[in-house]
Amino acid sequence: MSFTCILRGIGSACVVLVLALFAGCAATMGQPQASIEDVQAIRGAQLPPVAVGDFSLASGVDPAIDTSVGIRATSLKSPIDGSFAQYLRQTLIAELRAAGLLEQTSTTVIQGVLADRQVDAGMRTGSGKLTARFTVKKRGTSVYDREFTATSTWDSSFIGAVAIPAAINEFTLLFRKLVAMLLADPEFRKAMLS
Amino acid sequence: MHRVRGISGMPLRRIALAVFVLSVSVLTGCANFYVDPVLKDVSPADMNKISAPKPVQLLFEFQTKGVQNSRATDRLRDQVIEQVKASGLFSIVDDKPVAEGAILSLTINNVPLTDDAAAKGFVTGLTLGLAGSQVSDGYVCTLKYIGPGGKDPIVKTERHVIHTVLGAKGAPEGMTKSDNAEAAVRTMTKQIVGNALKDLSYDRSFK
Repeated sequence: MSFTCILRGIGSACVVLVLALFAGCAATMGQPQASIEDVQAIRGAQLPPVAVGDFSLASGVDPAIDTSVGIRATSLKSPIDGSFAQYLRQTLIAELRAAGLLEQTSTTVIQGVLADRQVDAGMRTGSGKLTARFTVKKRGTSVYDREFTATSTWDSSFIGAVAIPAAINEFTLLFRKLVAMLLADPEFRKAMLS
Repeated sequence: MHRVRGISGMPLRRIALAVFVLSVSVLTGCANFYVDPVLKDVSPADMNKISAPKPVQLLFEFQTKGVQNSRATDRLRDQVIEQVKASGLFSIVDDKPVAEGAILSLTINNVPLTDDAAAKGFVTGLTLGLAGSQVSDGYVCTLKYIGPGGKDPIVKTERHVIHTVLGAKGAPEGMTKSDNAEAAVRTMTKQIVGNALKDLSYDRSFK
């Protein structure tokens, strides 16, 4: 395989400009944000307002899982209290608020526990995984308890300046994916409407 | 002693040098940025006047190759919010649900137009800029508007391009150089969002 062929596979046009503007040495995720697809899906389900309670790291899990993740030489951190569990909570809040379903005085409360997070900016393929358990309590009684794992793979590169921003974006997206899995779960919706 | 070699037998030291030179080129001014003239600035006066503007919930997202880029979104969000407010198409622009439930979604997706951009940059780096090269970034803005009580969104799409010239290659013909990368992206964003909003304002379904 020629050097040119290898190079052709390692990048795309967006790299140069976006790197210059947005990658730099930043190692903090952007703020959680809602997507129109999720907002429409939640609205369509006509769920009742809900509160978002405590989110934390699962017991017995290495605290480092919650505080940062290494992407090659970069240490990526959450902008929400330096905690991925809190980032997951804020992601859920962003989606519910955008859908008009967040009501912190509600007696129905969603809680979460972060169990694992992984990201690998490989030389050719990147991969990521995020696992959390969600519970729903109504007036203190648990009515829903389920663990979800969101996964992702993407084209990576041996050039860190290409691979690292891509991995950060994909890892960040996992939080929204995980929340979308929860909100789309028929058992969750059933519990919310019960 | 064996030399450490990278992919395709190229010495890792040379690869590292190329990456370093490319990075320096981009970040210190050896890279120049040009916003394509395909789209022009749109002022609020260019919009179709709305007799009774409605409140709207605005959702904005910048994507890189279709994937949420939350840091870029953070950088551009305020500019986009102010632009939508200034358009005069809506009475209120908020990130939370509004009365009557209208939603405006704006997504700008940064897509590759030059498949071997990294390769081009690499070559420029290896020759210390003597072999200049040009890469182009495409941007696709998708506007979706769901009116009060509506279900089917009005969808408008605009496309834009930013050209990045590395090394000794000359400026693209007929284009004006932006001060820097951020200025180019902000100009692109202003033009692509402005044109999408203008298209929306002239849509018969938009009231």
